[in-house]
Amino acid sequence: MAKIKAATQEIYMPPKVTWKKDLKKNGTAYLFFAPMFIYQVLFAYLPMFGILMAFENFKVNKGYFKSEWVGLQHFVTLFTSEEFPRALRNTVVMGLLNLTIGFIMPVIFAFLLSMIKKKKTKRLIQTCSYIPNFVSAVVVCSLIREFLGHDGALTGLLSALGFEQQNWLANGDIPVFWLINTFMNIWCAIGWGSIMYVASIATVSGDLHEAAAIDGATRFQRLTKITLPCILPIIVMMFTLQVGLVFVTGFDKVLLLYMPSTYSTADCLQTYTYRLAFSSGANYGLSSAAGLFQSVMGTALLMISNYWNRKVSGMSLF
Amino acid sequence: MKVKRKRKDDGKELHMIENPSVGDRVADVIILIICIGVALCSVLPLWHIFVSSISDGQELLKHEGLLLLPVGERLNWEGYKAVFKDASLLKGFANTLLYCVAGTALGFFISVTGGYALSRTTKMHTFMVLFCTVTLLFGGGMVPTYMVIRQLGMVGTRWSLIIPGCTNSMLAIMMMNAFNGVPKEYEESARLDGAGHFDVLFRIMLPQVKNMSMVLILNSVVGQWNSWFNASIYVPNNRNAWPLQLWIRQMTADNENFLLSANPDYNRYLIQYVLIVVAILPIIAMLPFFQERLEQGVIVGGIKG
Repeated sequence: MAKIKAATQEIYMPPKVTWKKDLKKNGTAYLFFAPMFIYQVLFAYLPMFGILMAFENFKVNKGYFKSEWVGLQHFVTLFTSEEFPRALRNTVVMGLLNLTIGFIMPVIFAFLLSMIKKKKTKRLIQTCSYIPNFVSAVVVCSLIREFLGHDGALTGLLSALGFEQQNWLANGDIPVFWLINTFMNIWCAIGWGSIMYVASIATVSGDLHEAAAIDGATRFQRLTKITLPCILPIIVMMFTLQVGLVFVTGFDKVLLLYMPSTYSTADCLQTYTYRLAFSSGANYGLSSAAGLFQSVMGTALLMISNYWNRKVSGMSLF
Repeated sequence: MKVKRKRKDDGKELHMIENPSVGDRVADVIILIICIGVALCSVLPLWHIFVSSISDGQELLKHEGLLLLPVGERLNWEGYKAVFKDASLLKGFANTLLYCVAGTALGFFISVTGGYALSRTTKMHTFMVLFCTVTLLFGGGMVPTYMVIRQLGMVGTRWSLIIPGCTNSMLAIMMMNAFNGVPKEYEESARLDGAGHFDVLFRIMLPQVKNMSMVLILNSVVGQWNSWFNASIYVPNNRNAWPLQLWIRQMTADNENFLLSANPDYNRYLIQYVLIVVAILPIIAMLPFFQERLEQGVIVGGIKG
């Protein structure tokens, strides 16, 4: 992405290029941009305009301009309600779990993979571990129901460890759903998320390892003193990228898994917004207010992560 | 390629000078066991679903725990027969295929032409980049987007699943970077021969960015194949337009109430498993062929975005 900036700077436009000449030379290029332009206006810019709804008592038949204007009332309603702060808390907690345990697992897996010496075994293990990434959210959630339901295989395992046999998905106690969500995401991402690290571990120079080995460094020492420092920039970069996206991804699985008995721990901002808008008695105004809060939070996080990324790795998105 | 070979040599030399101790060997075995464990965890749940789909429905309902071999006296393919006799499920397949092909084609076209325009030296360059970056950063959200699509008259039709999600700024910018990576000489010589932007894009530039194009297409196909959320808000009541994934969700929900029905058809219970197998199989089958391409996509995407 650093290239966008570079490209902007490289462009040197002699002042004599007038609009007329530019249009003659690049008219077709502008025409090529037209589909993207229309697409963005329709599905990105018009919805931004639609945020007006968040400040209105929006009624579909009255439209944006004739609906009753209520100002910030929806936001007051949200923050004083019981459900919205709860959804915010759950979003943050699940996001943080994904950012910590969920982030570190692929890194560890990549280190372990890189220590397997037989190329074919390594390749086979990698291929297997990629599969869950391509399994759709609907299927992943069907699997979770199958395995954590009352008679599921994982429930059986947990019962053997001394937990009460139950449908774990209906359990609304505090860490249960959070842990299910975290481990589900790890299952999906552990192989696929490790690609970047495996690739960068492979570029660590063999000479360094050799020199260290001759000097008597053990394998563990080489791991912590050579490999880890070499790929640390990549790890930091990936982490900052994840920070920017942490509240955006993965809610569709929550939407498929949660049920009224687990709303207290499973409900997150997106699912709350979804319920307000698409269940019976739709409240579009309130729902878009919740959505706006979430958009603003997401944008802020992206900016922070981008700023941070530019500081540590010199690369940035915009 | 050269780089790769060199790396392999490095590895060999390293192993020659190493005298693995007992501790090293034990560590190797432990590492291997953990990695195989991860691989098994990735695959076994899907295997469980597969053997469930060819088990006897009644026996399966009684069974608890992980299945490694099908239960029942003999393999039961009735579930598969039921799926392929069910017109609405077949329609679901056809819909998913349609969305994959149409969504990918349209999205690819928009991303390529948009990316090309972004990559050219034009007076509007800064404006166009800004125009795309804004939407990368900020979006209207679920409900306003739904309202726009509703006002466009797409809700309830197949268009709502083909057009709105087919591309985004990120893809256009990825394409732009790919085009920027093509040496300028290609374009200049074509220009001298009298080629316009149209020829430059489709005859000169596009063949140079095959890798990135492939990544875009593969990701779009997989995304469309697996998508369910848009369908659940845009076409919830039009079952004719449901993609396969929505049918899987429906069947899973039906199965939860299965035991409540008075005279259950046990093969009906298997349909959920059969659908999952059928939904995953094409993707697993294509994975080995495209693995390297997809990996490259992740690495390029990670470095540049």
